[in-house]
Amino acid sequence: MKKLLFSTALAALMTTGAHAEIRVGILHSLSGTMAISETTLRDVMLMLIEEQNARGGLLGEQIVPVVVDPASDWPLFAERARELLTVHDVDVIFGCWTSVSRKSVLPVIEELNGLMFYPVQYEGEESSRNVFYTGAAPNQQAIPAVDYFLNELGVTRFALLGTDYVYPRTTNRILEAYLLDHGIPQENIFVNYTPFGHSDWSSIVSDVVALGESGDQVGVISTINGDANVGFYNELAAQGVTADAIPVVAFSVGEEELAGLDTAPLVGHLAAWNYFESADTPENEAFIEAWHAFTGDPDRVTNDPMEAHYIGFNMWVNAVTQAGTTDVDAVRAAMYGQQVPNLTGGIATMLPNHHLTKPVLIGEIRADGQFDIISQTEPVPGDAWTDFLPESAVLESDWPGLGCGMYNTETQTCVQIQSNY
Amino acid sequence: MIALFRQNRSVPVMLAVLVIFAAFVTLLSEGAGTGALSTSLVKTLGMTTCLAIVALAMDMVWGYAGILSLGHMAFFALGGYMIGMWLMVARTEGVIAASLAQAPLPPTPQELTDAVAVQIFGVVGGNSFPWMWAFSHSLIAQLLLVVLVPGLLALVFGWLAFRSRVTGVYLSILTQAMTLALSLYLFQNDTGLRGNNGLSGLQNIPGAESVPQSLMSVWFLWASVAALALAYVFAAWVMAGKFGNVTRGIRDDEARVRFLGYPVEGYKLFVFTGTAIMAGIAGALYYPQAGIINPDEMAPIASIYLAVWVAIGGRGRLYGAVIGAVVVSLLSTWFTGGRAPDINLGFYTIQWVDWWTVLLGLGFVLVTLFAPKGLGGLIDLLARRTPQ
Amino acid sequence: MIRPILATLVAVFLCATAAAAQTAPAAEPAAESGLQSILQEHHDLVERASRQTVQTVLDALIDSEDEAVPAFLERWQARELYMRNADGLFVYVQNDRADPLVLLDIETGAELGTAGSRDLTALRPNRGVQTVIGAALVQFQLLADDPATRATALQAIERAPEPGQLHMIGRMLDEETDPALRDQAEWLLTRMTIAFAEDEAQRVAAIESLAGDVRVQARAALNPLLLTDRRVAEALPRDANIARVLEPGSAALPRADAYAMLVAAGLAPQEVTAQMRRDALIANITNGTVAGIQVHQLGTEAARARAYAALAAAGAVPPAPTEAEQTAALAAHVFYDEYREPSTAVTAAAAETVAAINTHVGLLEAIDLSLDGISLASIYFLAAIGLAITFGVMGVINMAHGEFIMMGAYTGYVVQLFIPDYTVSILVALPLAFAVTFGAGVAMERLVIRWLYSRPLETLLATFGISIALQQIVRQVFGAQARPFTAPDWLSGSLVFNDVVAISYIRIAIFGLGVLFFVLLWLILNKTRLGLEVRAVTQNPSMASSMGINPDRINMLTFGLGSGIAGIAGVAIGLFAQVTPELGTHYIVQSFMTVVVGGVGNIFGTLAGATLIGFLQKGIEWLNPSNTLAAQTYMILFVILFIQFRPRGIVALKGRAAGA
Repeated sequence: MKKLLFSTALAALMTTGAHAEIRVGILHSLSGTMAISETTLRDVMLMLIEEQNARGGLLGEQIVPVVVDPASDWPLFAERARELLTVHDVDVIFGCWTSVSRKSVLPVIEELNGLMFYPVQYEGEESSRNVFYTGAAPNQQAIPAVDYFLNELGVTRFALLGTDYVYPRTTNRILEAYLLDHGIPQENIFVNYTPFGHSDWSSIVSDVVALGESGDQVGVISTINGDANVGFYNELAAQGVTADAIPVVAFSVGEEELAGLDTAPLVGHLAAWNYFESADTPENEAFIEAWHAFTGDPDRVTNDPMEAHYIGFNMWVNAVTQAGTTDVDAVRAAMYGQQVPNLTGGIATMLPNHHLTKPVLIGEIRADGQFDIISQTEPVPGDAWTDFLPESAVLESDWPGLGCGMYNTETQTCVQIQSNY
Repeated sequence: MIALFRQNRSVPVMLAVLVIFAAFVTLLSEGAGTGALSTSLVKTLGMTTCLAIVALAMDMVWGYAGILSLGHMAFFALGGYMIGMWLMVARTEGVIAASLAQAPLPPTPQELTDAVAVQIFGVVGGNSFPWMWAFSHSLIAQLLLVVLVPGLLALVFGWLAFRSRVTGVYLSILTQAMTLALSLYLFQNDTGLRGNNGLSGLQNIPGAESVPQSLMSVWFLWASVAALALAYVFAAWVMAGKFGNVTRGIRDDEARVRFLGYPVEGYKLFVFTGTAIMAGIAGALYYPQAGIINPDEMAPIASIYLAVWVAIGGRGRLYGAVIGAVVVSLLSTWFTGGRAPDINLGFYTIQWVDWWTVLLGLGFVLVTLFAPKGLGGLIDLLARRTPQ
Repeated sequence: MIRPILATLVAVFLCATAAAAQTAPAAEPAAESGLQSILQEHHDLVERASRQTVQTVLDALIDSEDEAVPAFLERWQARELYMRNADGLFVYVQNDRADPLVLLDIETGAELGTAGSRDLTALRPNRGVQTVIGAALVQFQLLADDPATRATALQAIERAPEPGQLHMIGRMLDEETDPALRDQAEWLLTRMTIAFAEDEAQRVAAIESLAGDVRVQARAALNPLLLTDRRVAEALPRDANIARVLEPGSAALPRADAYAMLVAAGLAPQEVTAQMRRDALIANITNGTVAGIQVHQLGTEAARARAYAALAAAGAVPPAPTEAEQTAALAAHVFYDEYREPSTAVTAAAAETVAAINTHVGLLEAIDLSLDGISLASIYFLAAIGLAITFGVMGVINMAHGEFIMMGAYTGYVVQLFIPDYTVSILVALPLAFAVTFGAGVAMERLVIRWLYSRPLETLLATFGISIALQQIVRQVFGAQARPFTAPDWLSGSLVFNDVVAISYIRIAIFGLGVLFFVLLWLILNKTRLGLEVRAVTQNPSMASSMGINPDRINMLTFGLGSGIAGIAGVAIGLFAQVTPELGTHYIVQSFMTVVVGGVGNIFGTLAGATLIGFLQKGIEWLNPSNTLAAQTYMILFVILFIQFRPRGIVALKGRAAGA
């Protein structure tokens, strides 16, 4: 046994020394609070890499995944990113979930000129030279969902409920500005923030129900994160809040989160994403089939960030093939304009601001924990700097054109080349 | 000094080890040597050194004074926040000044401040400096605050608690509650320290933008090693004299020491506050290397880990704390870094990233049960075996 | 005359293309179908139905007076309508799970052949469209024979009341016999009279009939009457229904806002903000100077003000209004809130009724808040009571207590995997969770804790190690995702007193469980031999053992009991919160605080502690409803301060026991 251990260790060392093959770093938490969401993304990356290798690899070489565990610890993300880039010599990193982990990694990636694909919907207000954002920007998720509330459901009083961190805060700030622009007065917007993992929802749900006393149609926009949703939806069900009376649209609730819930009382509540597992396309069917085969679990669901990695990885493979090298600058140049089919139909295109064009889907929760897609827009180009906040509206990101991710169109100057972390 | 060296042989040994260690790392570093050690490893070593400082503080307060504080990582993080404020403001000021210099009108001081504030607080929806950033433009002021904020907090908290004779387990739970309250307070986005996002990009030191991180990491390593050396000598000196004897007396039987006429509360308050300041300084050195600080850093669990390091290293012996912090945090880094080889049992593959926490947890249990003196106890055994 | 011909042409054309596109032989759809042709005419509006445009289609359908329309609308509303992608034909399918799908004609119901799921698009009208369709259906449903249909119609009206429906409800009430439906219809009549009736006296009577009604809907009917618009004028208009006149510079109307209103109404010149001044200066830069001042000198507000004044004097920019001018402009105008409702009698009645209701609602809200407080207190109590035994009685700091709670919740989840009946599974889960965590507790006590009785602080370290190991093991076995653990039907839903005061059954059950365990533990500790022995061992183990008590056994049982209760608490908490590996960590610190605040070694103390913390947190949350995190922070700060003044907790033991 000892000998075996020793030889494995030696083998590991040797592979570290020689790196003829292409290495892909996977920077997702496998322990700690974020493991709940990020483990799946590691698995999907391993599957995509395995599939690509089965297709003959990339540039004639095999792709080797390098998995590290930043353990939901934000400083550790920076440390692990540095290790991936300098010790493991990876050619690209797929990783991060929370915004704070991304902000932790940013300075390292920019310093070492790495390349990262970030797969989760986020608050925007960022465009780094070294990061491609394959998740949704606010205009690709939040704004269309609010439009749906305003136009289709006739909601005139909004409850913005969120977990207290930067994504809900920024998204709600954008939404408040947007709603004010659309004639919803300030007093018709109720905002509440709760801690991560919050479970005592009864008074908050009562507060929301009481909003109906104004005679307005009330709607809830939820940026509640992760497992706190379980308690929230349970309380909605307990207080008999149906989708007819008070519709709830969530930006962080997908198939994965619903798996922890009895969905029967939630039928009709909404979620906005760029992907739902129920999308009926051949690409999606193949993807789900491969996923079930890879995990050996026919009940494992797929979700939006998984699609983002699928798109990101395929784009990267195409860009590398096109550039003929994994050199970061060459690959980045080849990334702009890359096109990969979405799993929900249509084509995703990489924009000069490092965001994607994506269709926005609004789904209603079904009793089986899946979503009925009731609205699908044409592909929406992701906007790094939102148009609905005055200080961001003047900013623009155009890396190939202007060489700047934060260009002030008013003063015609590049505010910064490196990100503001 | 010489007397101290004679009395506590671990002091010269530790100083020698630290100097050799720092020199060795420098020679092998990417920034100033052969490059055999990666920059990320050098950073890890520098950060581990800072953790050793706070572990030393923990050992003084727990191992010597018998106060199991579950709040010292909060003091550590507060120190980090204080230095982080200056780092963020100074760096952003540089960026903004360069950008506004191209504007058609020269910026007014107010415009400059506003633009910096939007850059820093835009992410949490703010556009002006909160009150607690009043001194953030001054490095000297923030360095003072690194000492003052944890120190004053510990002083007030300790005074209240010791005055009410809250001791033992109750004090532990109270310090834990303090830590939790502080982290929840900072988690709120509108309390002025950028909420859950915390302060980031701290590794870019304003005024030293041209120094590559590979070299910067070596500088910080030396700074951390120097701080640890100072802290070690200070701790050994304090604990060697009468003060140390009284402190140990309080640990062993508080009532008896009080009856002997010693102001027990004063001693405890001094140790509690002094170690809080040590923790704050360690934090101020740690976070510019880590690059980001956020309220998670002061979650109650961090302070429990700190206690565990000290226990594993061996309480009541200063080198024990250092050893505990170094061993556990380096092992953690190695096991979660993806470099530990998986063990294939045929029917199941043990992946260390998954099972490391379990191993760590069981390790705590075993050490507590079978090695109450910790790893430091082993060194005592070895030292005793060497011929006189 | 032209329309049917055109429609037929379109249909024929579409069928032709369909026939060309379809490889499978398909029966011809009924080409003469009026329904299909109307739908085809508005093809896009049907395919991408929107609340704002679908009315056009509905009007066309209803105007056609086709008999098939009501049935079609119901099926469309129920999302049973499909579109064949190849030719845009609207069809039903026989069974939406079949493969391939069998297509049915929307009018005749005849089979139209088959298609794969991707050859069809399911047209899923969204809730907004469903509501509009529902409103269109009202006229067919309100007088239907089936009471269920009439109920549907009433619901549709409730969701989107329209003035035209007022007389329909009146007609329905003339014939309605079902008492429940009558009630609902009468309520709708009142509500719609308030909103839409022509006669002022009728409306006032309807408003007054709502006095004391605390339903949200009653307030929803009244509050819109009190909506106001803020206006500014040179003098108060005589015929307007004015709610109040506002003084500029008061709290209700800050001076800056008032002046902004004047500017917006074009009654006063624009103030010059720093931003506007900067832009104006930039626009007037000539040869590096602005109005003779060098650009590089414009780095202060004072210099910019000078430059702007110079520009204004030269007439290049509009002058900034002075303070005195602003004051004069404000004084020359009157600011007031005007009701949107023109009738003063109606607004007066509504204001009075709403004020009375709100007083009543405020009272009820206080009761509801107390219920929430009790509920939170009982959750804290249940989570902490096990700890009160292990920590309070035995002095062991069990950091793995939270993980025992978590294990209880997972036991519930596992039981539900094997027993699908929710009621039975809960009944099995409760004792099983107790057994599992009792076993785990006993094992832990035997293997670890008992070696550490002389070193209580170190139990903290050892049990913390167990805690993180257990968490990670559970994560490995069950996955990191939240697991479903569902309450049976009789526990879902709420006990509703009225629209303000309600509490969910799960919380009542948790409260009941808390009371049960309180009584049970009190009995065990005070009325049984075991309790006597536990107290004996707690107070003096050596004396107890010399009296023939086996302290080992007692310690083991006590620890097992405390752990077992944690398991049961886990089942209860898992029912309303989320079953994740981190479940325990959310409760551990609060539980310790509960025990310490209440007073150690006494279950009355734990009760008092849980009550204090629960009510305190709810109270602070009520003061600041938008930030729950702040409430938790201040609650903990209060606890810290509280312990300074009562270090032994609320219910402090006196005498010798206090030193134990």
